[in-house]
Amino acid sequence: MLGNRPATYAETNRDILRVLFKPSPLFILAWLVSVGCLVFGAYHWYRQIFWGLGTDGMNQASFWGTFIVTFVFWVGIGHAGTLISAILFLVRSKWRTGVYRASEAMTVFAVMTALLFPMLHLGRVWQVYWFFPYPNQRQLWVNFKSPLMWDVFAISTYFTVSAVFFFIGLIPDLAIVRDHNTGLIAKVYNVLALGWRGTNRQWRHFMAAYGFFAAFATPLVLSVHSVVSWDFAMATTAGWHSTLFPPYFVAGAIFSGCAMVITLLMPMSYFFGWKKYVNMWHYDALAKMCLLTSAILTYSYATEYFIGWYSQNPYEWEIFQWRATGELAWAFWLMIFCNCIAPLPLYFKKLRHNHIFLFIVTILINVGMWFERFNIVVSSTAHSFDPSMWRAYNPSFNEYAILIGSAGWFFFLFLSFSKTFPSVAMMEIKEMVAPPVRGGHHE
Amino acid sequence: MSSHAAAAVAPANRIKGTYAHLDCLLAGIERLRAAGIQGFQVVSPLPRHEIEEALYGGAPSPVRWWTLTGAITGFTFGFLLPSLTHSQWPMINPGGKPVVSLPTFAIIMFECTILFGCLATLAGFIVHAGLPSFMLDKSLQDPRYSDDQFGIVFLNANVTQTDAITSILATSGAVEITTGDDTVYEVPNA
Repeated sequence: MLGNRPATYAETNRDILRVLFKPSPLFILAWLVSVGCLVFGAYHWYRQIFWGLGTDGMNQASFWGTFIVTFVFWVGIGHAGTLISAILFLVRSKWRTGVYRASEAMTVFAVMTALLFPMLHLGRVWQVYWFFPYPNQRQLWVNFKSPLMWDVFAISTYFTVSAVFFFIGLIPDLAIVRDHNTGLIAKVYNVLALGWRGTNRQWRHFMAAYGFFAAFATPLVLSVHSVVSWDFAMATTAGWHSTLFPPYFVAGAIFSGCAMVITLLMPMSYFFGWKKYVNMWHYDALAKMCLLTSAILTYSYATEYFIGWYSQNPYEWEIFQWRATGELAWAFWLMIFCNCIAPLPLYFKKLRHNHIFLFIVTILINVGMWFERFNIVVSSTAHSFDPSMWRAYNPSFNEYAILIGSAGWFFFLFLSFSKTFPSVAMMEIKEMVAPPVRGGHHE
Repeated sequence: MSSHAAAAVAPANRIKGTYAHLDCLLAGIERLRAAGIQGFQVVSPLPRHEIEEALYGGAPSPVRWWTLTGAITGFTFGFLLPSLTHSQWPMINPGGKPVVSLPTFAIIMFECTILFGCLATLAGFIVHAGLPSFMLDKSLQDPRYSDDQFGIVFLNANVTQTDAITSILATSGAVEITTGDDTVYEVPNA
């Protein structure tokens, strides 16, 4: 299963650097499509700023619409990257080496996308600094007892730690890009690599620091989506107020993230000719991770219903019945199909190893995970305690346009990265290669 | 510095051994240490535990103290910031709950521990690894060392040990031994 490993250190460098700075026509087309989506979304954000939040479908009951849904979605996507880069590093899992760099890039870009949504949801984006505690004239401070404030700390810490972890891991590879180029490119990458030369002093502290970053990122990845889930679970809203939420959200985040890693890496490996580095070994491991987390989600959905019924709380039971039978039932059943049923065939190795089938399932998983958040966020507020406050929620065109724009922003960042930075960690791949020795075999 | 003064300073005695094989490099390090020769750097395309073991004997990097200090500072900050700011408004006390509430502040304390610990680790790494290192000696700036070769580099070897060093480098299996800093390095695959 280890695939066709490179034979030498130099071969690794050559294979990974080969694709940089030389976009194919297909790549340029994909890049232009992502830019087009980004501009489309940006224009609709401009419309929203100009006309106000009335351009969106949110109303008095459903005050959290697709912006919060999409925020949770993108934060969740990021989780698999940190899982692969930090947790699998600490447990010395070998399959991470081929996929961790691209997954980590996915994490950073997904969190950058997610960070747009609280700003979008705010409406008056120029007052975004109110999120942060800062001394002001009236000595007013933020409410640290609010889960929303915990979320500000959790997401900003997550972004900072992920970005630092990502950049530090990138430094030795940036130095390789510099050393294999001349002129302006070499100069720019020398600055980005902070003049890295791979001396014993540099490597020693690099490895120590890298271990600590991994150790910090590990509890962080489990905590971030727990904190995001408390945005809901801390409120006494029927359908939200549950201690099940943190583990259920973390499992869902890893589920969608692993699916997104497969969605991104499969075409990348194919078009860049990187079968040696990213192959079925990795897809198989990621697909198994999807299966495990899909089982956890299915169990969580069932538990929610069981507790809704067993608690004999009429509000709780009402909202769960309404989710499955009310006007948003289509979203509920789409979620059940995509998250609980569609991944099941992956139990069969033959289907798991079928590239096209696996690729389609991972896309379905991400559709399902967006609708999971849609179900949670929208249904509980649209159908709350007081029947006189029941309102239908229909996302407006503006919201869909911004959703497309956010995907454009994410893919614009990811595609740009894949042509300008090494998307497979050369330094770590070399650790898998038997070192060159004169006096016989060495591992 | 005047040209006269510059001429008076002895040029640095640079010696550089380039290795194509890890076991030869390790033999070179071992023999240099056995001969009591110090003041060299090892450059490699990847971190190898054998090199670190040979040079530092398993002594941990001091970066850990930065990490610990940062984490403790963050933990303290994460408690003090919400506690002190909430204490400024003790009259706002919904539901009779405590003004300084540890269960709710624990989240902030946790996040600040991670954030400060991470940033302090970054600072410690930058300081101890000597980054940014744009001004490193030219003999260390060899593109082969990020490709597939290893190097033992003396930036200013003791003149009396020059022969001993070059002999050890040669017998341990260095594929190239150079002195001075006038070598022009080829860029692989450029």
